[in-house]
Amino acid sequence: MNALALPVVLPLLAAFLVRPAGLASGSLARWFGPLVLLLCAGMLVDTALLTHGQPVSANIGGFAPPLGIVFYADSLALLFAIAVPAFALLLWPREAMQAGGDRISALMLLLVGSGTGMALSGDLFNLYVFYELLAVASFGLVASSGSARAWAATVRYLLISGFGSVLALVGVALIYAQTGTLNLAQLSEFAPERLANPLGLAAFACLLIGFGVKAELFPVNAWVPEVYATAPKRVSALLAGVVSKLAILVVLRLILLVFDLPEARQSLLVLGLIGLVSGELAAWRARDLPRMLAFSSIGQLGLLFMAVSIPGVLGLIAALAVALHHLLMKPALFLLAERWSGGLENLAGAGRKAPLAAGLFTLFALSLLGVPPLPGFWAKLVLLLGLGQQDAVLAQAAIFGVLLMAVVEAHYLFRLVGLLYAKTAHGAPPHRMGDLAVASLLGAILVASMPLLPALAQGLGWMAHQASDVAAYRAVTLGSTIPGVAP
Amino acid sequence: MNPPDLITILISGGIGLVAIGAVGMAVSRHLLRLVLALAIAEAGANLLLVLAGYRWDAVAPILTGATVTRPMVDPVPQALVLTAIVIGVGVQALAVALLIRVKEAYGTLDIRELKTRVEQEICGAAGIAPPESANKPGGGQPYPVPVTTSRESA
Repeated sequence: MNALALPVVLPLLAAFLVRPAGLASGSLARWFGPLVLLLCAGMLVDTALLTHGQPVSANIGGFAPPLGIVFYADSLALLFAIAVPAFALLLWPREAMQAGGDRISALMLLLVGSGTGMALSGDLFNLYVFYELLAVASFGLVASSGSARAWAATVRYLLISGFGSVLALVGVALIYAQTGTLNLAQLSEFAPERLANPLGLAAFACLLIGFGVKAELFPVNAWVPEVYATAPKRVSALLAGVVSKLAILVVLRLILLVFDLPEARQSLLVLGLIGLVSGELAAWRARDLPRMLAFSSIGQLGLLFMAVSIPGVLGLIAALAVALHHLLMKPALFLLAERWSGGLENLAGAGRKAPLAAGLFTLFALSLLGVPPLPGFWAKLVLLLGLGQQDAVLAQAAIFGVLLMAVVEAHYLFRLVGLLYAKTAHGAPPHRMGDLAVASLLGAILVASMPLLPALAQGLGWMAHQASDVAAYRAVTLGSTIPGVAP
Repeated sequence: MNPPDLITILISGGIGLVAIGAVGMAVSRHLLRLVLALAIAEAGANLLLVLAGYRWDAVAPILTGATVTRPMVDPVPQALVLTAIVIGVGVQALAVALLIRVKEAYGTLDIRELKTRVEQEICGAAGIAPPESANKPGGGQPYPVPVTTSRESA
């Protein structure tokens, strides 16, 4: 139980100890956060190795579910739980290492603690609380750049996010009134008879919009461009890369366990398609790189919502592939945008001064588009196969939309790649070594995954099978726990 | 009035509060009003949550040692709603603190004006020309002086 609870508890505790530690010694405060995160990532990897990816659960405080809160860790949950501290380490803000950076350190630790909790928790209200904590930490991080425009952007983000939370709370109330429980495993038992009705669908819609705020879902994504343009680039990378995936993971769990209804899947498909089309068209019109990336992130997450809407194991594989691809891609692109944040025209010829950065950007652009040998191609292919399986007109329209938007994407990405290699002088400053190193690492992982594709596909398939096994989820969380990890 | 009707009234009250808050957030232009609308919607959501476990003929779920002969209200939603209230207060306090910073920096809390100003600043920082406003006066005329009503400034 400790191995599952500590990666959530330690960062939350450490967040409040950073400042006292800063009073004792400046360097202690600087290294405290990264060390705690390293420890948490290590513990989670250790759990994954010990359990061989078999699902385990832990009862928090020794209270048995359904009354107590339960953490559930299958390979899917562990994968995202490890990604949170790992990416937080890679994207640790530079300001946090400077004098007076202990506040940002504390916010990052809060973000990691609540994010890991979101990946692991098996209780709906607990998920809501972690989600709120994550939201508050992200408000602070977005505002941490200290400019007036960042404050204004944060207010907008806070209001939209707050409205989403109200809706999520209404959804929780509706579910509780219908079923009398908030434990996901128990909800999966009651759902077919008590939630497969209009009231249940209303609850799903409320939860979807509520958790969709962080996942940049279509009607509640108005905060995205301003926030990504004004927040520190590493924070944008973390929000677009990791936090959005955690929100999607919650939606995925809800749809797998509780709301396995065709209407729910259809609404995901429609909202995802609108997000894809609006995001890509806006990215095509964008005139500076950060906002182009922000809009393209809306489009990519729309694609991800469409993947989640596909029923069965194939849909899960598609969702995992698109999610992991975007998880690698977006942080790296935001790191490259750190020094290329000016207008697109100002980037003309920037590739000649920074060949590595331009090469990486081209690689990521090709993978985003889905050019064959790169992983992005396979992710899109599985998605299209999943959509093609269905007979509905809507799915066919979605295939058409995905292909059409790939053309739009190709146009704006190639336009930028062409600009980068233009034969003109430019004034863009060189990238920082740290940013380039992290972007290269992510690029290397992307390239390395190409020869490993068969093994990777098998792993994803296995993970998808495990995640879609509702009976196992119930047995593990409500039944006995596996010795060794259990108390 | 018999009890079940009161529950119905309370539930419609909760839904109504959420609706009032949602409409307020959709139509308000002043940031403080938006925060207040959010607070109203939150109150509605909390009311709905607490009603989810309410029973008319039951007593408060407090164990006093004496044996309880009557049924008790479901304590879970009450615990949840306490958490939700605390979270709500925290978020609203953060919102108001940010509003003060925004007001100090821009001198206004009107969302449309703020949106234009932020857009101009982002474009300025990126070194590109700000977008043409749809409301720009034609023929190179200057912008009219903004009119503040007493209601807006209050």
